[in-house]
Amino acid sequence: MDKFIFLLSEGIKNLWRNKLTSFSAIFSIFLTLVIAGSLVIISQNTNKVIEYLRDKYKIEVFFKDNVPIQKVEEVVASFNQIKGVRSTTLITKNDAEKIFKSQFGEDIMNLVGYNPLPVSCVVNIVKDDINKININPIINKLKSYVEVDEVNYQGRIIFQIESYYQKFIRIMSLILVTVIFITIFTISNTVRLTIYSREKLIESLQLIGATRAFIKAPFIIEGILHGFIGTILASALLVGGLIFGNDIIISLFSVKIEYDIKLLILLLGGISFFVSIIGGSRAVSKFLK
Amino acid sequence: MIHLNNVSYTYEKGGGVSNINMSIDDDEYAFLIGPTGSGKTTLLRLIYMDLLPQVGNVVIDEYDSTNIKQKRIALLRRKVGMIFQDYHLLDDRNLFNNIALPLHVIGYDKEEIVDLVAEALEEVGLDGKEDHFPNELSGGEQQRACVARAMIKGPDIILADEPTGNLDPVTSFELIKLLEEVNKEGTAILMASHNYNLIKGRGHRIIEIQDGTVRRS
Repeated sequence: MDKFIFLLSEGIKNLWRNKLTSFSAIFSIFLTLVIAGSLVIISQNTNKVIEYLRDKYKIEVFFKDNVPIQKVEEVVASFNQIKGVRSTTLITKNDAEKIFKSQFGEDIMNLVGYNPLPVSCVVNIVKDDINKININPIINKLKSYVEVDEVNYQGRIIFQIESYYQKFIRIMSLILVTVIFITIFTISNTVRLTIYSREKLIESLQLIGATRAFIKAPFIIEGILHGFIGTILASALLVGGLIFGNDIIISLFSVKIEYDIKLLILLLGGISFFVSIIGGSRAVSKFLK
Repeated sequence: MIHLNNVSYTYEKGGGVSNINMSIDDDEYAFLIGPTGSGKTTLLRLIYMDLLPQVGNVVIDEYDSTNIKQKRIALLRRKVGMIFQDYHLLDDRNLFNNIALPLHVIGYDKEEIVDLVAEALEEVGLDGKEDHFPNELSGGEQQRACVARAMIKGPDIILADEPTGNLDPVTSFELIKLLEEVNKEGTAILMASHNYNLIKGRGHRIIEIQDGTVRRS
């Protein structure tokens, strides 16, 4: 227990003993976490945008005139079983007549003397899938029904939106992974700088019989503390920025940036903990014989 | 206690020791003398297993250099105290913390550490200076602090590598006497020096090394 307290206190004291390098390490963690946190917030809000856009995807299925309404209802119910379909809405001839009236302000019965509008159905597709939604299999399946006369959809737009979304996800993931690797590299180099100034300590510890774990422990504790302080500062900046930024954005665009504070802090803390341990341990290992 | 059996070690750029056979007994005080570059430091490094022999083996009690693991070397060093010419004190820690460090490594509790450091400081004549930092002490005081650090864990042997190299003759003489006191308490001492005048006539064994080989043992 005394050994653990000693190692812990050494880690804490080292923060103060090596003020300049501690500052460099904390600052590089802080910068990384601000970038990583911003990426997380952007991707969270991108999900909202893509869900909104996907909500607007519409597939309209028109049925042949001679199909009885009971059969149409059966077919529409079976559409819900198709993979990728979220919901369906049946539009009867009467519904279509009402929609026509609300859209054009005219009663179609008065115009042509009968209701020529076909029975149709709106098919909504899933919106919360992280993977690219491929609409073609759904369209092909819908067209395979003999009761279906025509299928209308915004194929090209959907394809473009989905393609851009996938590219965005890939680029964001790549940036995040790159940022994490750069941080591990930066931290391990920063710690290596602190170790150059403490080579004498490491050598002395080795000469008096300290194990590798004993020598490494204060450096790792110090690294975790750097990460902890970096996390607090980055979280404060991001959350403060979001609160302040949201006020402005709401007043200008009536849109709010969505974020989950707990998730954000947990994620930043996790990243900093991970990079501090890996970076610190990697740097000390190079100096141990 | 310490046995070097047919030990050889050659550095990449040349120099080192060859075919060393010698033993140090428990409680022995021995001087290792020889000119600069004769292999004294290499021999000491082989004993505390900072270097491992390329030929032969070093045996210290139950520790054999043949295939020894890093963790076992750390354990061995807890039984060996070391003193260097350039002190190896940590400048950012006061005397108390410098001397207490070996005890933290072993895992002593706080109260024991306080008592043992006070005892060691008194023994080397530095009581009252526990709050001083190394740069606030004279060379002689720093080297006495090194003796305190080496002896505090009750080692079986203290290896001293030119401990008087930076000291004036009077302080050097006092240091040798201090190590004699430590030796009387049961710790073996092996002290390397190139200054024959300093060690002659003290009644201790002298091991002479030249060009990497033992000439007199």
